[in-house]
Amino acid sequence: MTDVPIAKKNGETRLKTMITTIKHSVSYDETAYHLPISFALTGIAVHDQKAALDVFGKTDSNPLVASECILAEKTAAEGRESAPYTGFIDDTIIRKLGYSLVDGSILGLALVVGSPTSADSASAICRELQEKYMLTFLAGDIVPSLSHAGVKLGLEYRLIPLGSTPAYGIHFVDIIARVAMMFGGVTPGDISRLLAYAKERAKAIVIVFPGLSDQEIAFVDGMRVLGFPILSLGDYQGGDWIPATPEEVVRLGMEQKGIRVNITAIPIPMGCSPAFEGKSIRKEEMYVEFGGGRSPAFELLRMRSADEVTDGQVTVIGPEIGTMKEGGAYPLAIIIDVVGKMMKKDYEPVLERRIHNFVNYGEGSWHVAQRDIIWVRISKEVVAKGVKIEHIGKLLAGKFRMDFPQLLDAVSVTLITDEAKVLEAKNEAEKVYAERDARIKGMRDADVNTYYSCTLCQTFAPNHVCVITPEHPALCGAISWLDGKIAYEIAPSGANQPIEKGAVINAQNGEFEGVNKFVKKASHGEIDRCSLYSVMEYPMTCCGCFECIALMLPEVNGIMIVNREFKGITPSGMTFSTLAGTIGGGAQTPGFAGISKNYILSDRFLQGDGGIERLVWMPSQLKEELKIQLIKKLADQKKPDLFEKIADETIAISIEDLISFVERVKHPALTMKPLV
Amino acid sequence: MGYDLNFGWNGVIGQVILGATRAEGGTRNISYRIGGGTTLPFLEGTPSSPLPLVALEICDNPEYWSPIIRNYCGDLVYSVHEWAEAAEKVYDADLVRLYLTSTRQRNFTDISAVGKTVEAVLSSTGLPLIIEGSNEPKIDSEVFLKCGETAQGERLLLGTAEAGRYRSIAAAALAYNHSLIAQSPIDINLAKQLNILLREIGVPRDHIMIDPYTGALGYGFEYSYSAMERIRFSALKGDTDLAMPVICSAIDSLTIKEVREAEPVLQDEMALQWEFYTGIAAAVAGAEVICVRHPKTVGLLKKAFTCMRTSTFFSEVK
Repeated sequence: MTDVPIAKKNGETRLKTMITTIKHSVSYDETAYHLPISFALTGIAVHDQKAALDVFGKTDSNPLVASECILAEKTAAEGRESAPYTGFIDDTIIRKLGYSLVDGSILGLALVVGSPTSADSASAICRELQEKYMLTFLAGDIVPSLSHAGVKLGLEYRLIPLGSTPAYGIHFVDIIARVAMMFGGVTPGDISRLLAYAKERAKAIVIVFPGLSDQEIAFVDGMRVLGFPILSLGDYQGGDWIPATPEEVVRLGMEQKGIRVNITAIPIPMGCSPAFEGKSIRKEEMYVEFGGGRSPAFELLRMRSADEVTDGQVTVIGPEIGTMKEGGAYPLAIIIDVVGKMMKKDYEPVLERRIHNFVNYGEGSWHVAQRDIIWVRISKEVVAKGVKIEHIGKLLAGKFRMDFPQLLDAVSVTLITDEAKVLEAKNEAEKVYAERDARIKGMRDADVNTYYSCTLCQTFAPNHVCVITPEHPALCGAISWLDGKIAYEIAPSGANQPIEKGAVINAQNGEFEGVNKFVKKASHGEIDRCSLYSVMEYPMTCCGCFECIALMLPEVNGIMIVNREFKGITPSGMTFSTLAGTIGGGAQTPGFAGISKNYILSDRFLQGDGGIERLVWMPSQLKEELKIQLIKKLADQKKPDLFEKIADETIAISIEDLISFVERVKHPALTMKPLV
Repeated sequence: MGYDLNFGWNGVIGQVILGATRAEGGTRNISYRIGGGTTLPFLEGTPSSPLPLVALEICDNPEYWSPIIRNYCGDLVYSVHEWAEAAEKVYDADLVRLYLTSTRQRNFTDISAVGKTVEAVLSSTGLPLIIEGSNEPKIDSEVFLKCGETAQGERLLLGTAEAGRYRSIAAAALAYNHSLIAQSPIDINLAKQLNILLREIGVPRDHIMIDPYTGALGYGFEYSYSAMERIRFSALKGDTDLAMPVICSAIDSLTIKEVREAEPVLQDEMALQWEFYTGIAAAVAGAEVICVRHPKTVGLLKKAFTCMRTSTFFSEVK
């Protein structure tokens, strides 16, 4: 066993001596970057010993610099190695390599050095690297070892033999240094940008077989500073090298560096595209159905640990479609297990909702609702083409990986069609649903420092900015704070951006310095102030998607709400659609606000305007929809009789009727601070 | 006229350099600095910004081109070499925009031909070039690599990057120091998002031109106009992610109903007028480069721009 820290120390001393013995002038042809590593680090063009020592001193005796200079001198003195070895690679080829990296046709770079003990495992590793679209550079005995095993080498095979000893591996670093300067906008001498580029952009890993000399160990270990994981296959101990077995080394390295293989096609016998999303499957077109009140069915997405999930695995427990009768309703459980370094338990429900979209992407599969009230159909047409239950699983596994490449590393799907087992699993799922509800319900605006914006609607409401907080969902009701958070993590340049709420300006109205600053910018300078909990003072802008409109009725000193579904006239003298036309389009209209239904149940509801006691009127249908939760909430707030004091269209359509009603029931709004 | 033309704007539209002369490492006779405006174009009494440039669009396989242009240009369209030469010498265009329509043939694989076409066009004109790559994601990578490589040093404008399809073109721009066109479907937010995506991949701001997608007059141009206006206002208010010059190409003008169904003797004139007025409107919205296909539109637009700048246009109209 070689002790890495000790070998590294010896190696560094040796390199230090060797660099002082450089006699010849050193330079490579066909590059504009001199000795690229030295040039990138310091901006100094090294051509002789003096400059080499200068750079070496300026970089705190960096072993990469020493290795580069020493190899350059060796090449100058002895000439290039003969084929198949490439030695130093020209700028023109680097440009093409860099192109493939930016373009995505190469996912990452790997350096494999040393002497493999078995040619078979070496060729298996390289084949795996090829399959995973990695561009692999080789240095040392690995090269003859692969040649003997019949592995073809060369740029076209994405396996590039740099040289006959591991020391030639330094070219791997000079390639990355040049890619950073050509593509990364790194100016020579800007060490911090270079390191940042190497760490964040260069997707590079290093695999080390046994047999490295001390100075080669020093050079390999020197690459850690660039953020490349060093994976060792035996014979090394200590230091920060990651021990691995030949079977796992590629996966481990790619995971360490966050390199992911993208899925581009899902192998199922039916089309799969958002184009099919709106297509429904009518009863006469359907082969079988699941759920929808006709049979037990549910769906659940769970976060698991890495060893519990095999990526892409689809398991069907119970009868397959072949044994199901045409037109029948069968039980179904859709259980999706996911793993991801960035995955969080909070994301489960958000991802779970995507099952709906994905199943509908299938040409002959259809899905409605969520959780344990789902309803799924598969069409006769695609069953005739050979679609089975299993393929729905494949579709889901594939789509989740495709759409969330940053978030999910592995996805497996279990589909249960056996009734007893579905019911058993459903009990478990229901516990999870309850836990989730409790988790989201418990969140308070004061608990978090970051809110999320939504500017999705700026396509038609140019200056509209939604501010989404745990207790204030987007006014369309479709995006909660958690949704905003996950949307941002998935698409960091998308329509949902984090807002640091900053210092409190007005706690009652929910006005924050950070929010104002953000809104000012995101509204293109149109809106200066925004209070989250007030209809009266600087309310949020309205796009056009709001579920409800809250507006003041000065005659009763209160606020009424009308939801989109209500078609009639309201005590304001206007219908929903007239009101919507007046306040929408991204404007801020004091006295009016677009809100979501859930916000009515929030403790922050109308906080700035005196709270829920201001509420004087809402359509009976909305009242009915919120009844159970609203009564409970009012009871908790010790206002049990308020619910009956909120009028609806059966009580009052005109403002006159409303005035006499609120006076008769002694509505608390009447005695509150005047609204205007 | 009594209007206050100071809007309190403090932003500046970034500049993109197209073309490189021999002194700059290329072989063009001229290079342009596009952009740099601080207000809307053609406003009376404001510092005059440079006139919009007019690009003539040509292609290397006329099978995919409008019959109106084929009729007008005759045999010219069968030689991309002569067509490019005529764009400069006969039709007086400021830029040539080459569409590699040959790559649209089914199962196209002859990438080396792409290189030859680009070389041919570069040798037949001294004008800076805009090159439109393939329409097929599968061959994007090779086509853009070939274009970028062949014209290294010429500072091309490569088209067209879209939200789902920008990597190959960005790679070609980065590798060979070209600029690119970022197109979004008439949507300010998507335009901004694409610019951010391009920035994240490493394309500098001064290598991007925005194509807001241009509908023909009467066929959605009002949406394009509105998107362009908002993009420009945001840029002038200081949004650097949108502060790029704009390129417009109203190619739909040649296929709209009025042109298609016009009497044969009037068809050419109808196409010309439609393209001209769409181009004028796009320039008024702030576009820095207007692309047209009818050779006669080039001269008309250039004349109109000159008149508009000196305001004589308005007095002529009166």
